[in-house]
Amino acid sequence: MDGERGLMARVARGDQAAFAELAGRYSGRLMAVAGRLLGSRADAEDAVQRAFLQCFASAGTYDARWAVSTWLYRILTNICVDELRRRATRSAHDERSAGALAAASSNHHPPAAYLDLHRALARVPREARVLLALRYVDGLSYGELARIRGISINTVKSQLARGKALLRAELGKRGAEHV
Amino acid sequence: MSDAMGGSKGPDRLDLLLTDYFRPEAAPDLPRRIAAAAQESRAALERFEARLAVEATVRGVSRVALGAAAKPATATARRLVEQAREEIHEYLRGQRAFFRVPVDLAAVPEFQRRVLEAATHIPFGEGRPYAWVAARIGHPRALRAVGTALGKNPVPLIVPCHRVWRSDGSVGGYVFGTDVKDRLAALERTTPVLEGCTSTRIVCRVGCIHGRHMRPENRVVFASVEDACSVGYRPCKVCRPAA
Repeated sequence: MDGERGLMARVARGDQAAFAELAGRYSGRLMAVAGRLLGSRADAEDAVQRAFLQCFASAGTYDARWAVSTWLYRILTNICVDELRRRATRSAHDERSAGALAAASSNHHPPAAYLDLHRALARVPREARVLLALRYVDGLSYGELARIRGISINTVKSQLARGKALLRAELGKRGAEHV
Repeated sequence: MSDAMGGSKGPDRLDLLLTDYFRPEAAPDLPRRIAAAAQESRAALERFEARLAVEATVRGVSRVALGAAAKPATATARRLVEQAREEIHEYLRGQRAFFRVPVDLAAVPEFQRRVLEAATHIPFGEGRPYAWVAARIGHPRALRAVGTALGKNPVPLIVPCHRVWRSDGSVGGYVFGTDVKDRLAALERTTPVLEGCTSTRIVCRVGCIHGRHMRPENRVVFASVEDACSVGYRPCKVCRPAA
């Protein structure tokens, strides 16, 4: 972990090589979270790119009490959640008149084996879905999840339990044999 | 990893399925592209801001334009200019999703005032066609007049005429040029609208006075006020994000 904090200190000093190293280390995991939350690969890349840019711009305010991953996940999750908000308002508003601002994102097609899970996840409330993605990509602890989303550990637990219960019910409805 | 999943009972089938589903994917040249994009970023909008002139009367901001600004006539006008400059500064940095500073449209003809008033109802980060504005003011066929009225907007940015686009999605004109209009659309697309403070558990519109005192590490973004409430936050009573 100290190595990572040293890396952040170099990023804060504007060290491009350190920045590239940070991006190399985390882009895969961040892509997994963003990809599953946003659906399309292009949108996920855009979100991850913005997260790294924000991280680069605000590296000076990075607090060393935070694990670098927690801090990065916070930034990325903020971006993804806002993108989800934008989509919700976009679909609520008449698509026709939204013009170029509403450039529709291409639909991502998950492997067939995950299709049921993919559909079931779409029915889980947004905050719980975000927590599930973070929990299962990196095995983050309840404490880390609480920190990333700024909520209490008990809320994390209840949201995750509720999300999983919903998933089980949805998958059961679809007759998936693996739950 | 799986031991972290299922709590006391250990991972069950759903845990394994989810772990597999969320498996990280390789993104070989992404780091390089990200590092390259970091080089350019916000410089263009900063250059634009440096050239902006802001003028105000005692009632509100009366002019935002490129070039030199007349000196404020009174202390109230000076305060309003300062407030507007600060809000524009935050807006262009993605730290503000609404303007609080009043505008003075007393010198603007009635028709244009109604057009500008309609434009203020377009939500941050969204766009509407000229026809939407025309319909809203009760002159559905006056597209050209609407375009002219928006083109002469004396207080661009604050009255968001940049959120009005052509029906086919192309940008249309803009007082600061279409390049700036494009950049503003991109900026608003990437600026969040609702943020919560992890220490107070209050959710605000971005740009609220509360948010200003929020430390960066206490900031979380929410997609809706309901989402925020579902995890124990309450809406701010000052900026009233639910309204």
